[in-house]
Amino acid sequence: MSRLLGPLDTTGRVPPRQQTRVAAFLVSCHGALARRLAIALPWQLKAGWHTELNTQFYREAEIVSLLLRATSWVIDPELLSLLPSWEAAWLPRPPGGIVDRTQGLTIDVAALGHALHAVIRPAALLPDHASAQDPFVLALRKIEFESGRMMQAQILFLKSSDLLPVRDTLTATVENRHLQVRELWDEMLTGIGVERREAGQTTTPAAATIAKRGP
Amino acid sequence: MGAAMPFLALGSHRIRYELDGPESGPAYVLVNGLTQYAELWGGYRDALVTRGFRVATFDLLGQGASDKPSLFISQDDQVAALALLIDQLGDTPVFLSGISFGGLIALQYAVAHADRLAGLVAMSTFAELSPQLALLGNALRTGLILGGTSYLQDLLLPMNLSDAWLGPQLGNLEAIKRQGWLTNDVYALQNLMESFLEFKPLTPLLSSINIPTLILNGEFDFLTPRALHETLRIHIPDSALIIIPRAYHAFTLERPALTAALLSAFAEDVLAKRWKGNQSIWIAPEQAGDPLVPFPSGQDHLRAIPAHGVSG
Repeated sequence: MSRLLGPLDTTGRVPPRQQTRVAAFLVSCHGALARRLAIALPWQLKAGWHTELNTQFYREAEIVSLLLRATSWVIDPELLSLLPSWEAAWLPRPPGGIVDRTQGLTIDVAALGHALHAVIRPAALLPDHASAQDPFVLALRKIEFESGRMMQAQILFLKSSDLLPVRDTLTATVENRHLQVRELWDEMLTGIGVERREAGQTTTPAAATIAKRGP
Repeated sequence: MGAAMPFLALGSHRIRYELDGPESGPAYVLVNGLTQYAELWGGYRDALVTRGFRVATFDLLGQGASDKPSLFISQDDQVAALALLIDQLGDTPVFLSGISFGGLIALQYAVAHADRLAGLVAMSTFAELSPQLALLGNALRTGLILGGTSYLQDLLLPMNLSDAWLGPQLGNLEAIKRQGWLTNDVYALQNLMESFLEFKPLTPLLSSINIPTLILNGEFDFLTPRALHETLRIHIPDSALIIIPRAYHAFTLERPALTAALLSAFAEDVLAKRWKGNQSIWIAPEQAGDPLVPFPSGQDHLRAIPAHGVSG
């Protein structure tokens, strides 16, 4: 089990099976976020933060488009079982305790977006000698780089003063989405021979409790 | 590091820590700067353990292998994590030292729990946000948001380290940056930076730090310049300020042998009851183990050019 993708081929490219599994996961989660943003995006923008929603939608779609074209896809039968479980994980899960259902859904999509952009660091999986000319390598670096910026919309919303009264629920929702994304990402990587966790590092009992009881 | 890291439980969060050295020895607790992680104290751990100290290092919330809260990290929680760690040390004399952000957390701990400490070492740190520091902090946060951890490192490295250190490392800089880039997560760093949104100046509370206190400041520290350390010196009664020649903000990384020797000598002086702070001002030697030199009387230690003193 390695901490990084590979072994790379002689030209510094990631093995196609690893490319396929990583790209399938990223297309699934960023595609799901794009769909949810598309539904949330009004035809006529009415609030300032709607402009950010529009940007986010197109950036998520760009990530999907980029991966579809930059990946060296191969047939991966395991995706038949993995994809449905991933897709189910991205479904809306509005937190309990929020009376306004629209607000609850918005918090959940922001929490999911925060988790996807914060937890998933695909560039950190690349060995030093990964080819700087390879489209898949560049795609992973671009996704990680853009995630830091894309996360700002979620941070602005989730830390806004409007949500102070529900801060505990909000925090639990985000922590729960972080845990969910981390576990799925780690499981996917384990399936292609990559161990992301530090030795001795395990899921926190408290975080596991949050995950079980839900936000 | 062994296979299983020890963790402390701070509420629902885990704090990774490490204890080395003899259990019976006086303890040194070392607190990381903003982008740091516990392994960076390796040289200090070895030097201080050799001198008979027990050394405690840890990752703050949001750093390294400690938990990284997703949205909010308060500085009070960092102080609580530090208190948990110090509680692990039993009744042994405890010397607390922190650099930059870690120095601020150490100061906050000392304000609340001075009676638990034998001594405090505040390095490249501050009790209040001067306009310059507040604006620099905002700019660094924007840099992190727009350019990620790597760009933040690009800003901090030349700001905080000398040409003498950077020059020989230029060809290896990407490898040096990589470990910090891997260890730090953008959202966690941003949360640490945004913990200053609720920051209140400590200056009115500094006089309650009634323990021996050593203040270390790099001669050329741009991020936290002399005036910020002067605030500490003036308000902490039993303090002494030592200026590290030709050093910048991150002198703990650049001059570990010298700094570890200063830490060790300070604790040994305190334990032997030789320490006299007197709010005095000193110049550190170039080499570890050489004697300190008193800052020339009549000169202004806040100035970079020789000027007759008006302060202090």
